[in-house]
Amino acid sequence: MTRAALPVRAAPSTALADPPASLPSARGRGSRTAVRRVLAPTLAAVVLVGAWEVVARTSGLPEFVLPAPSQVAAAGVESAPLLGLHIATTLTEAALGLVLGAVVGLALAVLIAAFPVVADTVYPLVTLTQTVPTVVLAPLLILWAGFGLLPKVLLVALTVFFPVLVAAVTAMSDVDGAHVDMVRGLGGRRWNQFWLVRLPAAVPGAFGGLRVATTYVIGAAVVSEYLAGTSGLGVFIQRSRKSYDVDQILVAVVVIAVLTGALFLLVDALGRLATPWRRASR
Amino acid sequence: MTTSPDVRVRGLSVAYGSLAVLADVSLRVAPGEFVAVVGPSGCGKSTLLRVLGGLLPAGARVRADELALPVGPDGRAATAWMPQGDSLLPWRRAWANVLVGARIAGVPRDVADGRARALFDEFGLGGFERSWPHELSGGMRQRLALARTCLPQRPVLLLDEPFGALDALTRRRLNAWLASVSLGSAGGASAAVVLVTHDVDEALLLADRVLVMSDRPGRVVLEVPPRSDQSARARVLSALGVDLPALA
Repeated sequence: MTRAALPVRAAPSTALADPPASLPSARGRGSRTAVRRVLAPTLAAVVLVGAWEVVARTSGLPEFVLPAPSQVAAAGVESAPLLGLHIATTLTEAALGLVLGAVVGLALAVLIAAFPVVADTVYPLVTLTQTVPTVVLAPLLILWAGFGLLPKVLLVALTVFFPVLVAAVTAMSDVDGAHVDMVRGLGGRRWNQFWLVRLPAAVPGAFGGLRVATTYVIGAAVVSEYLAGTSGLGVFIQRSRKSYDVDQILVAVVVIAVLTGALFLLVDALGRLATPWRRASR
Repeated sequence: MTTSPDVRVRGLSVAYGSLAVLADVSLRVAPGEFVAVVGPSGCGKSTLLRVLGGLLPAGARVRADELALPVGPDGRAATAWMPQGDSLLPWRRAWANVLVGARIAGVPRDVADGRARALFDEFGLGGFERSWPHELSGGMRQRLALARTCLPQRPVLLLDEPFGALDALTRRRLNAWLASVSLGSAGGASAAVVLVTHDVDEALLLADRVLVMSDRPGRVVLEVPPRSDQSARARVLSALGVDLPALA
């Protein structure tokens, strides 16, 4: 009888013994992949920069063709006091253009969704104009709007405008038909359908387009500064090029990358704030 | 006491191209009356409800000898239609979703808030005012959608399988609950309800009158008052072509 009872008691104890044995190893595997995710790209970057350093120092290439990363870093420290103003100029152009392009894009999307006439007449034309890359228009904008802030803001706005417009128009036309029917079934007219369903449904889509557009804005501002202006990262790059300060050009490239990343994170955070129902579902 | 019926439909036919969906349907609903329409899938019962709610797609051909619905002060049909799914707006919290119907009907904010408060309590939704729709259970979502439909206090409610998407157990509980509440209308009177369902027991439990529709093209083949007719269930089922096993 005791023999028969033993295995019964033994079974749960082995079942209990199993999880603690497997849990730490599972957790170890999890943290190991996390470590690999951070460590592997960091290590790869260190190796690449190191290789660059070695090649730059040993190949005999002149400094004005390929400066070593250490020289770029030194140039960054050296030109830091000078960079502040250039960054402020470029960031102002990018931010104003981003806001202007987003507002105009969203406003036109609303008109297109609200009035089929606008959709039929304007939307095909707007789409057609997108065969022209906006950067190509920079010389014209400078001719028309002068050498100041305005042409640069306009160029950035033109770059932002289209992705926001398309994303918002698509979101509004792909709206859930059941929601529209619900509003109609409660006696809602077109106006109600628009305010209650189409407009709020466009917000996540518009922010999706805005996130994409944000990655272009600093670049668009810099390109417009190449052509004209007295301040901005584009001006800084052009001056450095003329004096063969390649290390300074690379400093500006790094700054542009960091600014673009920061702006993207900011817009992403704004998008989360504007769509709290999605944050809650994550 | 003779009040004119809220809903009068006579000789209603609906077709999409050459496909006849409804053929010669007649229907009368008195104020405060609860009418259930049962029928097999695809018999056009949802189409009937959409016609009453003014929701037919553009391609449909509608003919009727008479189609009278109560009209609100703004000259539009004073009906409130509830779709099979809850159709809650994901970007509005529970409270704001219930107020959608009031916003459309132009109910003043303070009046709407008072009604919403009462409906939240009566429908067992208290405490969930600030929840997002996706945080609620299926049964709560349907009750929320029903509250949204009731809030403008239209004299006629059109419910298209209001609990059709729920599991059988939740559905039974909600039906028992629905049978116990009165879906209020203006002036405290009960609203007239037209409920479309394929669930015979749901219809028999809730309705004052049950209409049975035939296969497509749908027509009304039977009308029973379940509360005064002991054999109502058997008659409805046989009209639907479902043979009951003989009761020993």
